[in-house]
Amino acid sequence: MTDYELRKSRALGMGGPRKLAARRNAGLLNARERMALLFDDGAFHEAGLFAASERAEDRDRTPADGKVLGFGAVDGRQVAAVSNDLTVMGASSSTVNGRKIAYAKKMASANGLPLVFLGESSGGRIPDNMGARGMGASAWDSQQYARIRETPWASAVLGPAFGSSAWYTCLSDFAVMRKGAILAVASPRVTAQAIGQDIDPEELGGSEMHARKSGLIDQVVDTDEEAIAAIRTFLSYLPSHAGEQPPRVASIAPKVDPEMLGTIVPENRARVYDMRKVLDALVDADSFFPLKQRFAQNLVTGLARLDGRTVGIIANNPMHKGGALDYDACSKAINLLVLCDSFNVPVVQLVDQPGFLVGMEGELRGMPAKIMSNIQALQMASVPKLSVVLRKTYGAAFVNMGGGANSDEFILWDRAEASFMDPGIAVNIVHGVSARDDPEQFKSLHASLSADSSPFELAGMFSAQAVITPEKTRSHLIRALELHNRAPTGGLGKRRLANWPYA
Amino acid sequence: MTKTIDIVANITGVVWTVDVEVGQRLDEDDPVVTLESMKMEIPVGAPCSGEIVEILVSKDDPVAEGQTVARLRP
Repeated sequence: MTDYELRKSRALGMGGPRKLAARRNAGLLNARERMALLFDDGAFHEAGLFAASERAEDRDRTPADGKVLGFGAVDGRQVAAVSNDLTVMGASSSTVNGRKIAYAKKMASANGLPLVFLGESSGGRIPDNMGARGMGASAWDSQQYARIRETPWASAVLGPAFGSSAWYTCLSDFAVMRKGAILAVASPRVTAQAIGQDIDPEELGGSEMHARKSGLIDQVVDTDEEAIAAIRTFLSYLPSHAGEQPPRVASIAPKVDPEMLGTIVPENRARVYDMRKVLDALVDADSFFPLKQRFAQNLVTGLARLDGRTVGIIANNPMHKGGALDYDACSKAINLLVLCDSFNVPVVQLVDQPGFLVGMEGELRGMPAKIMSNIQALQMASVPKLSVVLRKTYGAAFVNMGGGANSDEFILWDRAEASFMDPGIAVNIVHGVSARDDPEQFKSLHASLSADSSPFELAGMFSAQAVITPEKTRSHLIRALELHNRAPTGGLGKRRLANWPYA
Repeated sequence: MTKTIDIVANITGVVWTVDVEVGQRLDEDDPVVTLESMKMEIPVGAPCSGEIVEILVSKDDPVAEGQTVARLRP
């Protein structure tokens, strides 16, 4: 072996045969196998194969310095990726691998490439980060975490993710997590030491916690393979960079005939239904890609295709909490708006909501400010916004869900209604009379307060552009997307949400 | 004896109807009670299939989000 061959084989050997065999036995792919799986032909153009620790004593045991960086094709389009190698000092953050990540981000932005992080990392490297000099050396890049969404970023959490991998997961536009992986600020051991309590890793940062409670994770999967497939699918909806439109694919008829829309949604507005069934009869078959499916289930968000074009979906789901927006649902809506506005994706809102979910929990978290954040994001978003009211839209949330001038087209089904609040509640508020205590008086006051909430009233004052019958929803939206196409800028929006901090 | 699972309300409201009886077998998502909240009838579904072993609320009871309304044995 020449010196070159020896160096190369050591670098490609990662943390050594023993550690790699242990991973294989545990059913885990290694950092390079994951890269191979991400790229079309399994090969990538590597940068930094011969990078190693800056500390002389660690130089021979830090192949690629624990973070593998490369470029390759995903569905024929070039993508940059960083794959953390846990077998090399726990893929801990160091001066040299920090330089590699900075390079990946710079080249992705300069060349318009999506950036993928395949994450598992133990946090800052010790002793490199210790002491004042360690701290000073770790903060040399003033734009390290200044996410400006020039190209889509996607992350997979595939093992313990503390420090670096946790940060980049949260900065990404899409995050998928494998069951069994842990995402947290610091490891359960460090956390337990800090607060003097036993910590259960799953409770601290398991996939169930993040999918249901923190909302940091968009999808949960069982294997590395599924995680990487999810990232490939996510990227298929988006442009490679913010300077172009999303790719358009062949149109496919919806899974369910749109003629069924009128029966999927019950006319009685006290009855609930699952909004995802509406999507089945609206978007191209099998095109709905849900985001944060088990977080704030009262709002359905995701990417989908209408006639082959990518759209972002924001839809109340009456099946959960009556479809009322609460704190988490507003956060979820903001996330989707930021994604769409950053990458020129039109937004379709499907509206059926009884007003904000009021109560102690929301107020304690600062609900009024969250409502304003949601409205601000909606009003600042400059991509085409189309909103359809299926059944009802009440209260201040009328604005959050695209009412009036807050959509390029505000559309109502012929059976829909809009008002400030349900007249039954208004009778109680204004006159202090409830249906239970005085049914006769309640009935007469109810009638007097039932101002006409018909869709034709909104259309009559041109606060809505169209009133349609349910089965026309798909064809109407497809035609509207052709019209609202931002032709003067080649389909590009102003991207004012591209700098929005993580919601 | 298998552990029982708490079925909890997903929204604050008032019990509109109790939709099951003790001993009844349910599939996942079958309604256990229906709450009236936000002027809607909102079902609280079974988290998994199983048999109802205890019902803790009755019609017109106020219920808070997170409150256990019934227990089920998977």
